[in-house]
Amino acid sequence: MTEFIQTLILGLLIGGVYALLASGLTLIFGVMRVINIAHGALLILAAFLTYSLWTATGIDPLAAIVITTPVMLAFGWLLYQASVGRIRTAPVGASVLLTFGLALVFEGVMGLIWGNTSHSVRPAYFNESFEIGQVFLPKAQVYGGALAVVVLGGLYATLNHTWLGRAIRASAVNPQGAELVGVKVGAVAAMTFAIGVASVGAGGSIVSVLYPFLPGSHYQWIARLLGIIVLGGMGSLPGAAIGALALGVAETMTVTYISPAWATAVPYIFVIIVLLVRPQGLLGSRLREDVATA
Amino acid sequence: MRNPWTAVIAAGILFVGLYPVFSDDLYYQNMIMLSMVFAIGAVGLNVITGYAGYVSLGQGAFLALGAYTAGILSTDVGGNPFVWLPAAGALGALVAAALGVVAMRARGTAFVILTIAFLFLLQVTATNWDSLTNGTGGISLPLPTWSVDYQNWPFYYSFMALLAVSLLMSWWIRRSKFGMGLIAIREDEDKAATVGVNTPVYKILGFVASAVFVSMAGAVYGYYIGFIDPAGMFNILLSVQIILSLLLGGRATLWGPVLGAFIVEPLNEISNNEFGGGNARLLIFGGLLALVVLFMPRGIIPTVQHWLRVLRARGKAGLVGERLDARIELRERAAPQPATPSSDGRPLLEVKGLEKRFGGLRAVDGASFAVPEGSITALIGPNGSGKTTAFNLIDGTMTANAGEVWFDGRRIDRLRPWRRAHLGIGRSFQITRLFREMTVLENVVAPLPSFRLRQLSAGAMSGQEGERAGELLDFVGMRKYADAPASALSFGQQKLVELAQVLMLDPKLIMLDEPAGGINPTLIERIGEMVRELNAQGKTFLIVEHNMPFVLGLCRPVLVLARGKTIARGAPEEIQRDPKVLDAYLGEDFRLEEPVGV
Repeated sequence: MTEFIQTLILGLLIGGVYALLASGLTLIFGVMRVINIAHGALLILAAFLTYSLWTATGIDPLAAIVITTPVMLAFGWLLYQASVGRIRTAPVGASVLLTFGLALVFEGVMGLIWGNTSHSVRPAYFNESFEIGQVFLPKAQVYGGALAVVVLGGLYATLNHTWLGRAIRASAVNPQGAELVGVKVGAVAAMTFAIGVASVGAGGSIVSVLYPFLPGSHYQWIARLLGIIVLGGMGSLPGAAIGALALGVAETMTVTYISPAWATAVPYIFVIIVLLVRPQGLLGSRLREDVATA
Repeated sequence: MRNPWTAVIAAGILFVGLYPVFSDDLYYQNMIMLSMVFAIGAVGLNVITGYAGYVSLGQGAFLALGAYTAGILSTDVGGNPFVWLPAAGALGALVAAALGVVAMRARGTAFVILTIAFLFLLQVTATNWDSLTNGTGGISLPLPTWSVDYQNWPFYYSFMALLAVSLLMSWWIRRSKFGMGLIAIREDEDKAATVGVNTPVYKILGFVASAVFVSMAGAVYGYYIGFIDPAGMFNILLSVQIILSLLLGGRATLWGPVLGAFIVEPLNEISNNEFGGGNARLLIFGGLLALVVLFMPRGIIPTVQHWLRVLRARGKAGLVGERLDARIELRERAAPQPATPSSDGRPLLEVKGLEKRFGGLRAVDGASFAVPEGSITALIGPNGSGKTTAFNLIDGTMTANAGEVWFDGRRIDRLRPWRRAHLGIGRSFQITRLFREMTVLENVVAPLPSFRLRQLSAGAMSGQEGERAGELLDFVGMRKYADAPASALSFGQQKLVELAQVLMLDPKLIMLDEPAGGINPTLIERIGEMVRELNAQGKTFLIVEHNMPFVLGLCRPVLVLARGKTIARGAPEEIQRDPKVLDAYLGEDFRLEEPVGV
């Protein structure tokens, strides 16, 4: 029982981190129908930035999010202007291929800069645990999960209580309509993309503490994040949060009760089951297609 | 233009075919062989990605699947890996079909994700299922048994044969009903279903076709390289290179994928040998993929063809924007009287208590009405009253939450759209939905009035169908646009072509969604005229329209829908005076200025 509770809590903690990472991906999809396959590579990039900051200055990797988040925000904006923004209106397939290409480029660049070996960031509290009764919770996991939830809360607040957030939601629901009432959908899309990338900036710092990483890790991460947003319903933020928690728990349960080797298969099995049973995902809506495009 | 191309292709085939005979340079032989492997993958991928428009990043997984099939069978059961070629193909086809079933309800975005998940899932399985695959240890295949004098000829010519078969398949698909259906799916999947294309079967077969030869090539490839392991075989970069070959050469073309493969593979060798592979390979192929998508999304062959067309078309005026034919006036026949079916006429279509909810919104809320056989029935009502949703429920684009739809004595509300189309329901859309990259003629030929597996292999357009399509285009006055791409037509012209398209199904019931919306008065008159003529020939109509003179002059009975319910039904004269209708829709000051619009 203790083992089960411990597994469940760890699953929820890591699920919180997944939720932050997947939110950016689903937000980008919701607003511009772009599946940003480079999301995983950008996450690893942020993790490497954290690693370099940590080794160079000794700054706490979790505190490094105050640097990685704005840096990735700016990088995301530039990336949008230089690439994704040019094909905003092209079919989905085009953006998948484009961002896949970018992911490979980032993987190559990271390999050139940091090498293709496994890295990890180990702050002082890395081997310490909180002990509640018989349940042991590694401090890194607890801090990471909590921080992710805080950042995610900030993202939700931005979307729900600012003009930018409203413009983003308007663009997601009806781009033409938003354009007509004075929302610059192109500029909003750029900001959305930047915010989505910024969320993996913060997430990358957290991930750097929780998992070892190398440039090629991004495949595993993007697969996981895609599984989450398919489960939650593409474009749905609450769906992404639920999907993330579900995947976090499912993965840790698989590690504990089946085998760590098969844990990597969990997101793929999620995708297949969701597409068979409920293609629109848990909270996704089917789009009305007959009048959607004029 | 045809001849020089043919000569280039023939020279290419000759060169590749004779290369190992004249040169024993193993480096270049290897390069050509791997190019052929890429080409087989890309030609196959073209079926699902180029024709049907579904991007797959899992093509490499089928290559690996084939290699593993041959590897496992030849080591565990015995025999030469070549013997297991059919098994590899069969397994690939089977897995593709299963995956197709999973993807059946998934549209573009989810499909891409599924193919990525599929690739990685196979990789995890190959890594963890030690007893079958020997896990990360990999499998060593038997050594070739033939004399060294023959070098790699058996491999080389196997690849060449598989490539030839793949190309033949691609060529045949493009010319068949099957290919036409796939392209219709690419252009507009829901629309394809409403004109009778059994989309899931098409997609599944398309996916199978795209996987079968690359799986067989995988078996040969595994034998050729001699050792397979999960990391190498399921590397997603391989899938990327295959899809890059397709994009670079040109999607939906016959030779594009081959051209692309013979560019990408040598580039792969160069990046491995000159730049040390690894990161350089990622940079080169990732960068190239991004650049192609951004700057040459159509690929080499279509781009070149486009330039050539532009060069030749210079100085010639386009057809579009010309005045419409006035041929309707030439018809020397008394305009048929509006059909006046007795109200006790047999209902062709009957809707009972139909309901459709979108979240909390009840778009259609218990609507019940009947369309008498042989009538021109109108369905009117304010915006948002549920007219188009009712159409979508009747033709199967959407499924109702409750209620029944009866057509021609059959209950159809659980049938899929193409089944309903086959039974005799045709519909047009408020905002026209033609297959934009097909020509007008192809658009008209695309509908399928029935479904049989045998029909898939029929030519895309039989002589009979071509003739019929021509007649229909004549009827709507669009014949001279037959070869124009649908995307080049004006909105009104698209409405006419869509009407011809619906007629190709030879439906009993024709549902028109705002036929008079957004087009000029002359054309409205013409459409009214056509409706009457078709009605006189026995077609029943259900028309949604806001143009009251048009509706009241043409239709009988008139059904009025408000807030998802039918609030009135009757002859135009009665409807105009019905207080409920005046209140809900027409307005109290409604007065019809002219008696009829036709």
